[in-house]
Amino acid sequence: MDTQFAQRRRRELITAACLAVLAALVPLFVKDVYVQNMMVLTLMYAALSQSWNILSGYCGQISLGHALYFGLGAYTTALLFMKFGVLPWFGMLAGGVISALIAMALGYPCFRLRGHYFVIATIVIAEIGLLLFHNWDWAGAALGIDIPVRGDSWLKFQFTRSKLPYFYFALVLACIAWFVTWWLEDSKWGYWWRAVKDNPEAAESLGVVVFNSKMGAAAVSAFLVAVGGSFYAQFVSYIDPESVMGFQFSLLMALPAVLGGIGTLWGPILGAVILIPLTELTRSYIGGSGRGVDLIVYGSLIVLISLARPQGLVSLFSRRKRAAK
Amino acid sequence: MTISRREVLLGATATAALLPIAARAQTSEVVIGVIYPLSGASAQIGVDAQKAFETAAEIINKKHDFDLPLARGEGLPGLGGAKVRLVFADHQADPQKGRAEAERLITQEKVCAIVGTYQSAVAVTVSQICERYQIPFLSADNSSPSLHRRGLKFYFRASPHDEMFSKAMFDFFDDMKKKGTKIETLSLFHEDTIFGTDSGNAQSKLAAERGYKILTDIKYRANSPSLSAEVQQLKAANANVLMPSSYTTDGILLVKTMAELGYKPNAIVAQDAGFSEKALYDAVGDKLEGVISRGSFSLDLAAKRPMVGKINDMYKAKSGKDLNDYSSRQFMGLIVMADAINRAKSTDGDKIRQALVATDMPGEVTIMPWKRVKFDEMGQNNDADPVLLQYVGGKFVTIYPPQAAVAQAIWPMK
Amino acid sequence: MLTAETIIQSLASGLLMGLLYGLIAVGLALIFGLMDVVNFAHGEFLMISMYATFFLFAFFAIDPLLSAPLVAAALFVFGAVVYLLIVRFAVRAKANAGMVQIFSTFGLAIVMRGLAQFFFTPDYRSVTNSWLGGKTVSVGGIFLPEPQLVGALVSIAAFVALYFFINRTDFGRALEATREDAGAVALVGIDKNRVFAVGWGLGAALVGLSGAIMAIFFYVYPDVGASFALIAYVTVALGGFGSVFGAFAGGIIVGLVEAVTALVLPPSLKSVGIYAVYLLVVFIRPRGLFGSM
Repeated sequence: MDTQFAQRRRRELITAACLAVLAALVPLFVKDVYVQNMMVLTLMYAALSQSWNILSGYCGQISLGHALYFGLGAYTTALLFMKFGVLPWFGMLAGGVISALIAMALGYPCFRLRGHYFVIATIVIAEIGLLLFHNWDWAGAALGIDIPVRGDSWLKFQFTRSKLPYFYFALVLACIAWFVTWWLEDSKWGYWWRAVKDNPEAAESLGVVVFNSKMGAAAVSAFLVAVGGSFYAQFVSYIDPESVMGFQFSLLMALPAVLGGIGTLWGPILGAVILIPLTELTRSYIGGSGRGVDLIVYGSLIVLISLARPQGLVSLFSRRKRAAK
Repeated sequence: MTISRREVLLGATATAALLPIAARAQTSEVVIGVIYPLSGASAQIGVDAQKAFETAAEIINKKHDFDLPLARGEGLPGLGGAKVRLVFADHQADPQKGRAEAERLITQEKVCAIVGTYQSAVAVTVSQICERYQIPFLSADNSSPSLHRRGLKFYFRASPHDEMFSKAMFDFFDDMKKKGTKIETLSLFHEDTIFGTDSGNAQSKLAAERGYKILTDIKYRANSPSLSAEVQQLKAANANVLMPSSYTTDGILLVKTMAELGYKPNAIVAQDAGFSEKALYDAVGDKLEGVISRGSFSLDLAAKRPMVGKINDMYKAKSGKDLNDYSSRQFMGLIVMADAINRAKSTDGDKIRQALVATDMPGEVTIMPWKRVKFDEMGQNNDADPVLLQYVGGKFVTIYPPQAAVAQAIWPMK
Repeated sequence: MLTAETIIQSLASGLLMGLLYGLIAVGLALIFGLMDVVNFAHGEFLMISMYATFFLFAFFAIDPLLSAPLVAAALFVFGAVVYLLIVRFAVRAKANAGMVQIFSTFGLAIVMRGLAQFFFTPDYRSVTNSWLGGKTVSVGGIFLPEPQLVGALVSIAAFVALYFFINRTDFGRALEATREDAGAVALVGIDKNRVFAVGWGLGAALVGLSGAIMAIFFYVYPDVGASFALIAYVTVALGGFGSVFGAFAGGIIVGLVEAVTALVLPPSLKSVGIYAVYLLVVFIRPRGLFGSM
């Protein structure tokens, strides 16, 4: 069994490497900036959803408030750059660390909550963050922060027309999020989480260690999402509270993982690859009518997929059911 | 019946979207991008805007006997009679989506200019993209003063911004004071997005400069389920003038809540937005007799310029509504842009920009009460004089400035 | 400027608003609180109830007070149909039932908004000149708007009715038993789908009732539900899952806290008070105030 398991792990790693290389080659053939833009967003959401999946899928703590960490990342980077001239690369790290610390501080009281109480707590915490940023004049309040773009610069991580640097950054971020997930699956934490899911009584005996591992999952998840937020601030070069910390964002982050397969290694990527182009294309090509048809199409697909494949679209690909179940 | 007709139209748009780009390039037409919220919470504005832009395009593309640039001929004579074609895009009030749509319109649809966007936050990103691609962007109806102060070369705004609007209000107060009306204290009531924040800031600054006392300055959350706590503070303050900056939804709730809590302000001078929307007056018009709102448009201009009435009829046939402060600015936005493209005799971004810089359109050939359209070095038209309108007997009448006024202000309101 | 009058008026308005929040949440208390099924389209249910009330008023001149039972009946059917067509499958999902419920109803919410925009246009609508619209009673300088007063009474009545329904009828017991263990009740001949379809119908009917009352003083447009949905979730969770009385108390607390927060903080932060109280309560009592689950 061990060898079989090791083989599967190795196969996953090789598949991922091949996919990453293939993805890296795509921009050589696809030159259209609109499509490139869509690919950047797809990779970004894949990374975000993968990070969300660590806490909510594997660890089982469903958070619908991850927009908080996304927004914190975006704001930390933008504020450090605009107010103190700190380069976004350092801002990104700072945003990640701040978010991870806040995630642990919030996780401490929240992880005692079960089910819906926890989910609603995550929602209202993110809403409080949104409202505070909305009223924080120093951080631009509702006016947001407009990051001026003066030519192409790797140092400032800003590029006027080219999407390629953003594309490769998002690709690397998605790979890191994937790799962290892959590594966690076979770690001590991964075993505990599976044990707790399969057998609630095991949770009692593992009590303290599981609690600590949840704190760890929250920190890792928040860190990665915050880096995604920093990236978003650089990519769009304008942020305001609603567009980086709104509740919609928390849902959009969870959606790819849920549709692709929550708590699975490939689910978030698959979900993002299907969902994000769908969102963009329906808005661009049927949203212009102003009659809400894009919403009808988009919403119906979400209903259909989530009902038809509760275990996620990734299950279409798995040749055999997990032996563990 | 109506629905089936609309569906046919919808089908036609969908087919057009699928046509290969090459096929479109052959026709002699000028493509202009229009980016608005066409779904989501402010879809109503976007859908009305669509009709305003279509009206403007129709006037440009067909012969009309109006004293308006490009109305008398067909298409743009400077480009051999090329027709204006509009491509609409939906930004759903999201700056990121606005940006993606702007990029799509520029690179895929090959638009030579973009007009937008209603939400100022989206105008920030759309204008950034336009700057990067050297495509002119015209803010038809964004009123945030910060927009033109960002050193962008391709940004233009023909209509007034919030500081100009607020200045007109305070000029009016000064005038009324000279005539012996007691105006000393103000209550500000503004929502918490860019529009309300900018408006509130401009008003606080002006009040301090001109010696008016602000009794309460209430910033409230947009689309609140209830405003009773807020209204109560306004009632307790009971200033001489209540100055709301609210969108339609909050405006309706504000007026209803004021009536419910028995607060009857002495006078309301509103920062447009919701207070120029038909929906608000349909809902609570009976409680608003005598309300004053700033605006950049007034239908009583039709008495002086008959074309205003005729254009209003054309718009009304499409939308079922009269032109208001937003739709009139959107309409003029396209006319100003098309006029520049026509003079540029080219669809090259830089040439259109030069033509925009050289724009000098007298107020008489617009549908607005403006002096003229001429952009300063930041792309702002400082000659777009705002007006103050008072809602009397179910209609708006212009009461300020004196050269545009058709009636005296009724003060206090009923 | 905190006079005694301001404070009393604030508390009175807060209490009325709280009862209204309760009224909006009572349907959710049944579906979400008692049946333990997530409905992310709760706000949209409210939206279509308000539209229904508006159109009955605009086309047939039926006052919202009279149309409330009609709207509730229509919503009963709608709720049952939504259960049978969508939620039934979400509840049955073998994997991730919680997430499937969240996202299938979230998708439904988006579709409903799209359909509302398609058929009703995004225009803002209001019921004007209804019997109660704009009327207000003044007691010693304290103003109590009549629509909210009626709303408060309806809210209390709805909670009492729901309480008796759940605790004193066979159907109520069947509903609770079904949630606990659908397999066991099947053995005694109770069909889970029938029980839950009726439960959803009743929950939706209560939303219909609140929508009709809301339409008297609130505007309607396709996105109107969003403003109320989160407050409704917080209300139910604050009171505690499984408790009808909890949701009622939750509503009142939310209304009062909101009013008090607006007195001490800038009004744009008034929701922060609500959220903070929720967090405080669940950190101390992880099952909400009166929850049993």
